[in-house]
Amino acid sequence: MDNEKYTDINGKAIALNYQRHSSFCTEFTVSSPKVSIGKVMVATCFVWIFAYAVFFFTDNTAVLSSAIIITLIGMMLYIHFVKIDHESLLVIGSLGIQLSSSYASGREHTSFIEMSKIKDIVINEAIYMHQIIYYLCILLRDPADTSAVSSVVPLFQSSKPRLNCLVKVYKSCQEIISKC
Amino acid sequence: MGQRRKKADVSASSEKRASEADTAASNPTASNPTASNPNRKHSICMVSDFFYPNMGGVESHIYQLSQCLIEKGHKVVIATHAYGRRKGVRYLTNGLKVYYLPLQVMYNQSTATTCFHSLPLLRCVFVREAVTVVHAHSSFSAMAHDALFHAKTMGLNTVFTDHSLFGFADMSSVLTNKLLTVSLCDTDHIVCVSYTSKENTVLRATLDPQIVSVIPNAVDPTDFTPDPSQRRGGRITVVVISRLVYRKGIDLLGGIIPELCLKHPDLHFLIGGEGPKRIVLEEVREKYQLHDRVRLLGALEHRDVRGVLVQGHIFLNTSLTEAFCMAIVEGASCGLQVVSTRVGGIPEVLPEDLISLCDPTVRSLCAGLEAVITQLRSGAVPSPADIHARVRSLYTWRNVAGRTEKVYDRVAGEEVLPLDRRLLRLRQHCGSVAGSIFAFVAVLNFLFLLLLQWLVPDQVMDRAVDASGPRALWGPSQRDHPAEEAGAGAPTAE
Amino acid sequence: MVLKVFFPQCCNRADSGLLVGRWLPGRDTAVVLAVIHYPFIPSTVKQYLQQIQGQSQVPVEVLGSWSMPSEKQEGLDSFLRDLSTIFPQTRWLQVSREMGQTGFSCQLLQLPPEKEEEEEDRVIFVHYDQRKVMLSQLHPLESPALPGCEEPSELRQMFWTVAHSEPLFLKDKYDEGPLKLSHWQSEGREASILVELMKLASTPLCLLLAWLLAAWSWVTSTRLLNLSPLRFLSSKLSSCVQLSYRTAHMKTVTSPHTATSHTHFMRKANVLVSLLLDVSLGLLFISWLYREERLARLASALLPAADRVSRELEDLLQWLMGAPAGLKMNRALDQVLGRFFLYHIHLWISYLRLLAPFLEVILWYGGLSAALGLTFALSLLSDMLALLTFHIYCFYVYGARLYCMKLYGLCSLWRLFRGRKWNVLRQRVDSCCYDLDQLFIGTLLFTILLFLLPTTALYYLVFTMLRLMVVALQGVLHLSVDLINSFPLFALSLRVFTPYRLAEGVKFRVLSDEPGTALHLLMEMNALGLGEVVQTYRTPTYSCYPPDSWGALLRKLFVGELVYPWKHKTTKTD
Repeated sequence: MDNEKYTDINGKAIALNYQRHSSFCTEFTVSSPKVSIGKVMVATCFVWIFAYAVFFFTDNTAVLSSAIIITLIGMMLYIHFVKIDHESLLVIGSLGIQLSSSYASGREHTSFIEMSKIKDIVINEAIYMHQIIYYLCILLRDPADTSAVSSVVPLFQSSKPRLNCLVKVYKSCQEIISKC
Repeated sequence: MGQRRKKADVSASSEKRASEADTAASNPTASNPTASNPNRKHSICMVSDFFYPNMGGVESHIYQLSQCLIEKGHKVVIATHAYGRRKGVRYLTNGLKVYYLPLQVMYNQSTATTCFHSLPLLRCVFVREAVTVVHAHSSFSAMAHDALFHAKTMGLNTVFTDHSLFGFADMSSVLTNKLLTVSLCDTDHIVCVSYTSKENTVLRATLDPQIVSVIPNAVDPTDFTPDPSQRRGGRITVVVISRLVYRKGIDLLGGIIPELCLKHPDLHFLIGGEGPKRIVLEEVREKYQLHDRVRLLGALEHRDVRGVLVQGHIFLNTSLTEAFCMAIVEGASCGLQVVSTRVGGIPEVLPEDLISLCDPTVRSLCAGLEAVITQLRSGAVPSPADIHARVRSLYTWRNVAGRTEKVYDRVAGEEVLPLDRRLLRLRQHCGSVAGSIFAFVAVLNFLFLLLLQWLVPDQVMDRAVDASGPRALWGPSQRDHPAEEAGAGAPTAE
Repeated sequence: MVLKVFFPQCCNRADSGLLVGRWLPGRDTAVVLAVIHYPFIPSTVKQYLQQIQGQSQVPVEVLGSWSMPSEKQEGLDSFLRDLSTIFPQTRWLQVSREMGQTGFSCQLLQLPPEKEEEEEDRVIFVHYDQRKVMLSQLHPLESPALPGCEEPSELRQMFWTVAHSEPLFLKDKYDEGPLKLSHWQSEGREASILVELMKLASTPLCLLLAWLLAAWSWVTSTRLLNLSPLRFLSSKLSSCVQLSYRTAHMKTVTSPHTATSHTHFMRKANVLVSLLLDVSLGLLFISWLYREERLARLASALLPAADRVSRELEDLLQWLMGAPAGLKMNRALDQVLGRFFLYHIHLWISYLRLLAPFLEVILWYGGLSAALGLTFALSLLSDMLALLTFHIYCFYVYGARLYCMKLYGLCSLWRLFRGRKWNVLRQRVDSCCYDLDQLFIGTLLFTILLFLLPTTALYYLVFTMLRLMVVALQGVLHLSVDLINSFPLFALSLRVFTPYRLAEGVKFRVLSDEPGTALHLLMEMNALGLGEVVQTYRTPTYSCYPPDSWGALLRKLFVGELVYPWKHKTTKTD
């Protein structure tokens, strides 16, 4: 475990943990910063002030209650479907690679890709919004033609780490994949 | 070299032209003795709307020039817009990296220009590739002009290559020329492909002739070798290879074909290329029942061009305007007799005895073609091998790359004007109205850049791994290592 | 080389014995299915395994030995080694638990080279829940078309092995016999008597229904019903279409062959459940409709409503015949069109008057169709809507045809203007020399058409709006019918109540990472997403064909092509 500082492509600090379970099984976890209370407060205040302004002019109390409900539901949806706290990559030599992302609400989404389907794991470049970024991805083997790539599974999609972090993960993954 | 204006219809001897070309190439370094050491390696970003998979002269110019510059040890990346599903980053031969940026195409493969929307992506390219010189191509390309503008905002040196000629008379030319004036007044150096083109560009953009160099195009002579055995005996074949558009004089061609075919029963036409004017040729073919003698091949791949060229005896070019015609050099390199219109920079391209020049009218072209046909019949023409031997040393890409490198050396030594002086120059150079408007746009662009730099600071962007240039990660031994494959598809090898 | 051992959770604490299972072909993977406890007679074990192999088609064999640390026995090592000679295998696993440690230790004996490999951390133990793995179905489903071209993946093989060795698990813990086994045990079979009875009863029922269906389909396929106008009508009436779909569904359900593949079984179950749901909804609907004189009120309200629509239309036409929204139209053409449409409305009203006395009877019998299912009632409603708004359809068709013809004329005359013509043979625009008379007439016609276009376009626009409203209403009805028809309720409830039955894949959790012992992973089922369940198991119906995009619809409207709520047969892309 080293204390090198990593950031995502927008310059926010992220943390990379890796846990070696055995010589051919390693788990990488990229954690992005938690939901900041300040931002939540600002968003809530904004909605409520707006609602209060509407209430002031219309004298309709339904506006206030709907504002409260909208804020609550919006926050719940946000932490349940949007905000991802950790993304982890479990590489098990000769068995496969498991990607999982855990949302702020605790919901977890996991998928496992068998080693026989994996052709390689590479760092690629892509245009993302108005930036050109590096990202790590798994190349899936085309079942019909073993030398071809059928599709690409991008990793760490929500916390987009920068190149130095990707290189670290890439090297360990290659080490495990080449061994088995 | 600025004084040496040449009229398009003045035909000069080849020796004189060669000496001029040499002066042009040596001039940049001669006029700027304080240029930094010649071995300095540049990091060049070529920007143009036109690149492969689109086909044409500009596209192959950019590709060949980049390959030769990489061979000389420079780092080259290309930025163009996305073509259909071809988006993102691709690698071509020798680690030539191409960014296909998702910008909206408006007309004729040229992107829409708003002066702003391409800044975020182009800035990203310039920053992550640590670009030192931005080289934009073709005045038709809106993206190239945008790139020149953004590069100046970011404080980079710029070079522009003009590939085409324009008129002065009509409304659209007046507007385009004004835009060109604005766009080029900031540019450090301009490259034109022929003297006619230089004259044209200097006049259109009211430039100082000192910063305009002439570097002609080139062809790869090894790709275009003659093979007389492919010619069919008992007939004379005329080959035309061009895009079938108005500028290339296809309406003239439609007039020539029936007239000559009536006179010479053994004359055949072989026409390669695609375009909106194809219908003209098809109608002519149907009207005069020439299906067996006029073959329309449709769009040709670059590698198939030679196979078509060697089947013919005469290469015909009917362009109405042309800065530098690469097609006639390719034709001559394959050992064909070249007949062409005398327009633009064409008279400069080939020595007089290898080309017959005619006026751009049906009658003059017919007369020229008939003269060549008579010569062919009498056998009074040089053999294809002789023609090839003379042409092969005229234009090579290495020569072009060497001369372009000198331009880069000169440009890299120049200082980039700070914003206030840039605005001042815009005002002085482009007139008070247009100058003020574009000065305002330049200020906005600068503010936009500041905003972007605040959102994503330069140091947060990852520096790209070099694929070419002095710090290239892919040595010559491991060039084809698929460590980083671009996009969902396989990288294109050209 | 990494050795992978899939180990059932229920054998974690089993007594010492022999490991029974299977080596996956071509891989270093062992699937442990059960443990045979000491004492046993080797020949009986061999015989038993052969018997199981015959029943289940799974090549079950003895994998190695399993020892619990509880009994302290001297010379255990040599005993275990001797065992491997009794059951000759190329590879022999020796798995043992040790006191005070959670992990297992494992030794692999390669017999032919007589070389003993002992690498503690080159072994992965994957613990799995035998019951869940046996019952679950991996997705995406294997396509049966190409079984040979590609070797199934490791997990699929493992799932297949466990699912097919069901006969092994039938042997009860309390059975008296020469062998004692440890594996997953079924909790009990009491309820299964009912299931068996139902199974027995279902066969004759299915046969009866199938016979009835065959008779029905014979009736529908007779010559009389296939005459061209009837056939055309029935293909356009949504109740007839629904009838044919339901027949097909019933045929699937009542086919006497038991479902063999998973897809087939799910299809049958889904169709059956959606049928039951449909009928029960329909009965609810009937019980609501036939109470409190609702039907009569509906019938009496229907006619005034239709009258009102006609009156509104008349008003609209009057408005159009004047100067609608201040637009100045061509007066003569405007009057002609307006009168023509007014006459149509008049015809329509008289038709409704004729129909009025029978309306309640029609509704009464129509409502009965809901006994066949809510979908029938809904499709009947859609048909009735189409019949009651027939005048709107007529207006729309006239307007569209007129508009379309005008556009067409304008297009070709515009070409004439530019000295071109459309070459039909070559499908392209050719240049053409016209003489003066042709040009003169063409220009004249062009001008006339151009100036008359706004009047026609306005009529077209208004009637298209009306038509679109009707089409949207019918579209909603069709969609709801389609939803009931195709919704995979059974699969969805299976996914909700027993998530492991429909697995998208697996997920692993690292159990222990004590240095020195082998890696232990826990394998869990990753349930299929709800969206995927619906996508995979929905019964294919006509709405599964890609609908027209909005752009295509707008284009059609602009050039005056006719828009229908149903799909043409030719647009099917199946």
